Parts: sequence; C-alpha cells; structure tokens
Amino acid sequence: MGRFKNNKKSRVAVKPIAKKNQPNVDHVTGDKIPKSFVFSRMKLPGPVKQLQMDLRKLMLPYTALSLKEKKRNTLRDFLNVSGPMGVTHFLMLSKTASALSLRVARTPQGPTLTFKIHQYSLASDIAQSQLRPRCPQDLFKSPPLIVLSGFGSQELHLKLATIMFQNIFPSIDINTVKLSTCQRLVLLNYNKDTKMIDFRHYSIRLQPVGVSRRIRKFVQNHQVPDLRNLQDVSDFVTKAGYGSESEGDEEAATVTLSSDLGRVNKSSTKSAVKLQEIGPRMTMQLVKVEEGLCSGGIIFSEYENVDGKKGDKKQDEDEEDEEDGDGEEEGGSEEEGSEDGMDEDHED
Amino acid sequence: MSTGDEGHMAERGTKKRRVGTSGGKGKKKKLKTQPASSDRSKVSMKSKKLFQKRARDYNSDEDEDESTKPAPVSIREKIFSDANMGPNYDEIEEEEGSDNDENSDGEDHGEIQSGITRFATDDGCNAFRVAFKAIMKKTKGEDALGPVLSAHKHLIGQKLAEEEAERKAKGQARKAKHLVAEKGHVKPASYLDSHEKILIGVATKGVVKLFNAVNKAQHAQKGLNAARSKDAKELKKRRKDAFFTELGKTPKADTKAQKSSSSQGDEAPAWAPLRDNYMLANQKLKDWDKKQETSEGDDFADMSGDESYED
Repeated sequence: MGRFKNNKKSRVAVKPIAKKNQPNVDHVTGDKIPKSFVFSRMKLPGPVKQLQMDLRKLMLPYTALSLKEKKRNTLRDFLNVSGPMGVTHFLMLSKTASALSLRVARTPQGPTLTFKIHQYSLASDIAQSQLRPRCPQDLFKSPPLIVLSGFGSQELHLKLATIMFQNIFPSIDINTVKLSTCQRLVLLNYNKDTKMIDFRHYSIRLQPVGVSRRIRKFVQNHQVPDLRNLQDVSDFVTKAGYGSESEGDEEAATVTLSSDLGRVNKSSTKSAVKLQEIGPRMTMQLVKVEEGLCSGGIIFSEYENVDGKKGDKKQDEDEEDEEDGDGEEEGGSEEEGSEDGMDEDHED
Repeated sequence: MSTGDEGHMAERGTKKRRVGTSGGKGKKKKLKTQPASSDRSKVSMKSKKLFQKRARDYNSDEDEDESTKPAPVSIREKIFSDANMGPNYDEIEEEEGSDNDENSDGEDHGEIQSGITRFATDDGCNAFRVAFKAIMKKTKGEDALGPVLSAHKHLIGQKLAEEEAERKAKGQARKAKHLVAEKGHVKPASYLDSHEKILIGVATKGVVKLFNAVNKAQHAQKGLNAARSKDAKELKKRRKDAFFTELGKTPKADTKAQKSSSSQGDEAPAWAPLRDNYMLANQKLKDWDKKQETSEGDDFADMSGDESYED
C-alpha cells in the first residue's frame, strides 16, 4: 500500500528556479534590475518550444531558465509569483493555426505589446549555418546590450516599443561599465516600409587591429606554432598570412578600449569589433498595444481602426478581450498617452 | 474438495493401484465407446479401450468427472485388473509403437506416449488433425494477400484497403500538423545576404559608439579621485560633456546602448532624466509620496501612457 501514497507535499502552481542570490538592484548604479519570465500558456509545437528556450537564453542572466508552466497556470499565477521575485517583464509566446505571436508585457499593470512573428530561425539553425559557431563560456553570464534602430519617435506605438525594449535589459552606466561584460547584443531594426522589426542576437568579439592572424592566434592559443615550412623565425612574423582578413570596413568598426580586455586586446591598441550571430532570429510586426496586462483598452492596433470605429476583426490572436472596442475610452487613452508623454512621473 | 483430492490421489498412487481403478472405470466405459470406435479398422477394440483409459488417467479433468461418481473398488475388480495387467501392457507397447510411426517417431516413454496416442484416437483431435492436414496440403495461392485461412478473401482485402486509406489519411493529417507547426520557421542561408550585412553593420555601429563613449567617459575620470567632493563635481561635469559629445552632440540618447540611427530632431528627449529641466520643472516630484498613493489605487489611465512604467 505504501507505493500508492503520494509523496508530494503540496501543489505548487509555478516552480521557477529561485534566484535567491540575484539582487533586485544593481550594486554599482543602484538601478532596479529588470527580470523576465518567458513562457507560454498553451502547448507549443516543437520548433516554437525551442524558440521559447532560445528566448530564455537570450534573456539570461535575469530570467527563469527552467520555468515550468502547466496548462492550468493562469496569467494570474505568473503574476502572483512575479511580484515577490521582482519579475518586471513577461514574454509570452502563443501559437495559433494561422500565426505565431509574441507578447511582451510589463508587469504588473501593462502595457502589453503584441508582435506577430512572421519568420523565425532558431539558435541551432543559425549555428548550423555557420562554419564556426562561437559560444564562449561566459557568453550568457551578462545581459546583452540592446541596439534599437529605425524607431522614430513620432509614432506613439513605436516610441512605446522603444521604451519597452530599453527597459527589458538592465541599463548600462557608462562610467562604471566593464567592457568584458559586453558580450552580446540584441538588435531591433525597424523597417519603415514593411513595418517589420528585425530581431537579431549577436555575440561581440574584439580583435586587435594591425596584428596578423598568426600572431594573434599564437598569443591567444598558447600553442607552439608550426614552423616547418619557414626558413627563419622572422618569417613567422613578417610573412603575411592568407588574405582572409577582411579589411573592408575595419575603419568604421575600430574602437579604442578604455581598459585591457583579455589577452590580446590592450587598451593601448585599437581593436576591431566583430559580430557573429547567435540566434534566435525573428522578423516580427507590432500588431497591437494594450493598456493592461493582456487586457484593457487597445492603444494601438495594426488592423483595427483605433479612432473608435470598430474595424473588421482581421486579427487572429486569441485574446481575452474584456473591455476593448469602446470608442470613447480609446480616444481618451490616446490623449492621456500624449499627456503622459509631457509630464512623466519618474520614480527611481 | 474431497472428489478432487481423490482424483489427485488416483493419479499419484502406485502404479498397480492406478491401473486397478482405471480398469474398473474402463469396464464401464467399454459399453459406451464400443459403437463409436467400431468403424475404425486400424485400431483394435481392446487397445483402443486401453488408450482411452490411459488418456483419462493422463487428463486430470476427466478423472475428476469420473471420480464424482463414487467408484467402489471391490476386491473382485482389483483381482480382475491384476489379471488384466500383463497382456494389456504388451499390447499397449505394440500399439504405441505403430502409432508413433504414424504421427511422430522418437520418444517412447510412458506419459508422453499416452498423450500422443490420445491425440491420435480422440475424435475431436482426429477431426482437427484431418482439417490441419487438409490445410497443409493446400498450395499457397499467388495472391497479394498471401496464404489466408479464411474463405472470405475479399473481406480481408477490403479491410487491408481500409487500413491503407486510414494510414494515408493519418499521414496527411500529420503532415498538415507539421506544416502548421513549422510555419514561419526558416533555415538561414549559410552565407550572409545583403540584409544581414546591413543589420550587422547597424549593430556594429551601435557597439562602436557605445565603446567609444565608454572609453571617453572612463578616460575622463582618470587622474581624478571620485572620493573627493571637489573632484567629484568636476568629474560629473566632464563625464556628461564627454558623453554627449560622443553621442552625436545632442543629448538625445539615454545611457543605454540605444543608438537610434534616425535623427530625432531637436525636440526634447523622450527619457526624462536627459532633459535639461528634469527634476526642476516637474511639479509632481515635489509631492511624490502622494502621487504614488493615488497612482496605485488609480485607474488604468495612468498606465496608458508610455512613460509611466519606467523604473
């Protein structure tokens, strides 16, 4: 009879890996560190599940990498957990027959941005396509930088997206930042014509300029070089290697470092910035902005007319629309949005 | 229970006793089985009777049936059986040898032999044997279905066709599901196309800008001790100047690595701390504690804005 006993002590709705030693506040700058949950509330097909895992890795280190979600977990469950754990952002993937969408929400009160993912490639796909995929050990130990490009400040929803993505990663204090922590980069590039946002994830690599490949490898690898084909030791230094070193846009991509970085990048010399993609890669479109957390009035919608007239429902997201489509409210919210742009309350 | 025990006892008993009891039963059985077995020319009457006897002994179930009727073993019967024993055994040996030739040669030991003989003599088993032999004699048809025992070949054909159709439908459904699951999933090309190159260029520009800005800012504070208040002020000023000159002369970008490539014009920056009048013109910050109270219990209107959720 003993084996029929249930050993479970209690039922826990959400069991995220507790980040007990992670501070909520940056020690140096005193800023609040944004944290995130990446989850889905439905059963995702294989590749999308992998995409979710890739997104979690991208959001490292301030995310729950092995967050377990169950079917019965509601949004409220995640919300309840997010408070004590200091989680500030939710990234929710959802998949319907027609579309795959990503919702980026700020907890606990919103707003929520809904992106429709038109195309995506997994990190493994990217790695497969590359000759030498690069993954240093401490790549995911520091948060990525974020580069937003093409987002004008004119349109309100784009501005909102800009701010949302700026705040999703910890901010950098330019005076105290260590360059060795800048290992990754997330690029969001907005294309005005197609209204698509290109989402890319790169690893940053620095190489000294003006040093031949052989010398660089020699210094980096600690290995005895192969000198069989050389007449003299000086040949190793003087002889040029293959013409593989692309010098095309070296000028634009060189930086002078403020401090030494690694064995080869000295602060006295110039270094070239090299980026290599480490997926995931997404092409997405901002389709909807909601006031609340997956609810509330619609501030912006790609398909519907925001001005109050109910457009035909072309949207294919399954949303729990509770109080949308109210013309006056939406008009009002837009006003308030512009107002808030003027007088913003800022609590640090 | 008692009857079962008895049957058991009969089986386990000494050879002599077993033969004796079975002999008694056999005598009764003789009358019944005689007409049925009379048509068989091969096996003699007597031996057949004996075989049946042994078979019954071998099969405990039958024994039980028999033993439900109390079979009193009288001395006379015992004697009779004892007398019967000798010649009977000889005949059994003979007959079994012939049967073995017919069915399967090799083993000729008591119990197994009796089993085999039972197979040969029992009516049901015999019918089964005949049927089985008839089936085995049949040549295998050159049908796609292969050898089928059933006469309803077309039914089986139908069933197979149905299965095939079902499998096909299932496969299609799975394929459709897979297509839905894979929708939007693209494998990147192994080379960098122009779009990717542009994107990498944009990202590189951003990184370079940031690194240079960091370099400038951190270079400026060299030689100054931040602990001293006099230096600290100087430091602050220098840092700010250096940073803004690095970031395209207008204080438009924030301290993050965000480098908007499109020019924002000369309007005030979106982020509050970058404005010149930050903390000066903002009335709300004076009574910030009151403000927070209201905003917490407030409506959704406060969140509709794009700035209210900054931290």
